[in-house]
Amino acid sequence: MANVLRNSAKFGFSGVLSQLSIHSRHGRECVSPCFSLQQRNSSTSPKEVDLDNSTGVAVLRMQSPPVNSLSLDFLTEFCINLEKLEMDKSCRGLIITSTLSKVFSAGLDIMEMYGKSPERCGEFWKAVQEMWLKLYGSNMATIAAINGSSPAGGCLMSIGCDYRIMANNPRYSIGLNETQLGIVAPFWFKDTLVNTVGNRAAELSLELGLLYSAPDALKIGLVDQLVPEDQVLSTAQVTMSKWLAVPDHARQITKSMMRKQTIDKLLSNREADITNFVSFITKESIQRSLRMYLEMLKSRKA
Amino acid sequence: MANVLRNSAKFGFSGVLSQLSIHSRHGRECVSPCFSLQQRNSSTSPKIKVDLDNSTGVAVLRMQSPPVNSLSLDFLTEFCINLEKLEMDKSCRGLIITSTLSKVFSAGLDIMEMYGKSPERCGEFWKAVQEMWLKLYGSNMATIAAINGSSPAGGCLMSIGCDYRIMADNPRYSIGLNETQLGIVAPFWFKDTLVNTVGNRAAELSLELGLLYSAPDALKIGLVDQLVPEDQVFSTAQDTMSKWLAVPDHARQITKSMMRKQTIDKLLSNREADITNFVSFITKDSIQRSLRMYLEMLKSRKA
Repeated sequence: MANVLRNSAKFGFSGVLSQLSIHSRHGRECVSPCFSLQQRNSSTSPKEVDLDNSTGVAVLRMQSPPVNSLSLDFLTEFCINLEKLEMDKSCRGLIITSTLSKVFSAGLDIMEMYGKSPERCGEFWKAVQEMWLKLYGSNMATIAAINGSSPAGGCLMSIGCDYRIMANNPRYSIGLNETQLGIVAPFWFKDTLVNTVGNRAAELSLELGLLYSAPDALKIGLVDQLVPEDQVLSTAQVTMSKWLAVPDHARQITKSMMRKQTIDKLLSNREADITNFVSFITKESIQRSLRMYLEMLKSRKA
Repeated sequence: MANVLRNSAKFGFSGVLSQLSIHSRHGRECVSPCFSLQQRNSSTSPKIKVDLDNSTGVAVLRMQSPPVNSLSLDFLTEFCINLEKLEMDKSCRGLIITSTLSKVFSAGLDIMEMYGKSPERCGEFWKAVQEMWLKLYGSNMATIAAINGSSPAGGCLMSIGCDYRIMADNPRYSIGLNETQLGIVAPFWFKDTLVNTVGNRAAELSLELGLLYSAPDALKIGLVDQLVPEDQVFSTAQDTMSKWLAVPDHARQITKSMMRKQTIDKLLSNREADITNFVSFITKDSIQRSLRMYLEMLKSRKA
């Protein structure tokens, strides 16, 4: 298993960490490679939301260093913000982006799954479900302005949106790479991916746990558009005007028609899905994998 | 009907035979065009050869049933036995399927299993076809089709049953589910597998017209994943297999099952009805007439 983990470190569950580690070794960047050992700076808000009342467009900026990990706190705040915007009649569109260099979001926070009680793991997973349910089922027009790498949970967030614009940088990657770490993406991750890139591409992508470079992600339709990095947000705003030019009710009913079946599949299986996750993640073999992965990250940092 | 058959000969149920016939007319190749009139060598030679490399955990299954690796009852039975042995062998993690015959991966279902046979015999045959697909599509092993020749109908089904398809970059090789060209209909689970591979619209078009795609076109629509020079098909399959086996087995297997379970269950819960449908269809006088005329057409080409 150790070998697998050493090899899979390149594609680890929080894939971008490994990329940062690799970059440090090559002296390209000097960034702390291990989010899990970071002092938790819980005072500053991990995200910033600006609603422009004149356009009806909100921008949600993820700013939780070092890699916008989806922790329980982060997800809770994300959901609270989404709910507020959803209930605000003046808010018609949402752009999600990152303030951190090179990273959109590195995905689920491993520390939420390692050495935690079953109850705590269940609480965490419920929050992951909630993030997806609120985002995928949002009435707002949602655009992911992907200005950095976006593995695993970051990819899930991206494909939860209506439209994806990514920075045209082959060093940024995106994908559901869970199998590389010996974990399995749950059915609703799979459903969302199938809805985005089709069945065959999803099967290949999930079984191999592929991370696609931005250009490859465009080729398979995982993202919709590539633009220079400094144009990602502005392109998102221009694109948003197009989306908001469509009568709201028509767009919303159509979106619901497209996504309802997929959403209902989780809604009618939420508890079972949480139970499955908890019993899987608390297995000794899986906890061992996670511990070895964390130790590998620690040794890279040293 | 005769006209239809004469025209459909180009795209016949065992499509590659027609291609061989066409090529003979143009003097390009000299290959016996009619598998159905071949002396059946049913005695001892195995139709399938399997080698398992214990150090890599990769098995290679070579189809070697001349002239065209037809999926007969014997062939399918051997195929399923081999697959089951490999599935139960803990040291076997991956399977590459390929052909030893020149220009042909597999020409598909053996027409002689469907012509002039009793309903019971037809039912036995169809059950074996189902079994081949169930075992292959649902296999826990990482499966790669190394398609080093043409692969119509049942050969195409076998290919799309695998996890990954590498084909020889030869525009004279073709692949597709061409059943309708012979007045036959691909059953729902052939259709489901094709939809899962190329998407709904492409599958609808492909199945209704009974299209056979050249290797380059097959790549374009995603029916195969990769084209390489013919002499690199097998080595590429081996390299690709290492990538697949670098993924933790349990994670890959649970994911594969999650992707394919619904499609598999659809046949599992309808096996008997599917056999009944096939038998009553294939034993119809009109369908038997079509098959007879097709066989006579092949015979006259050979002469």
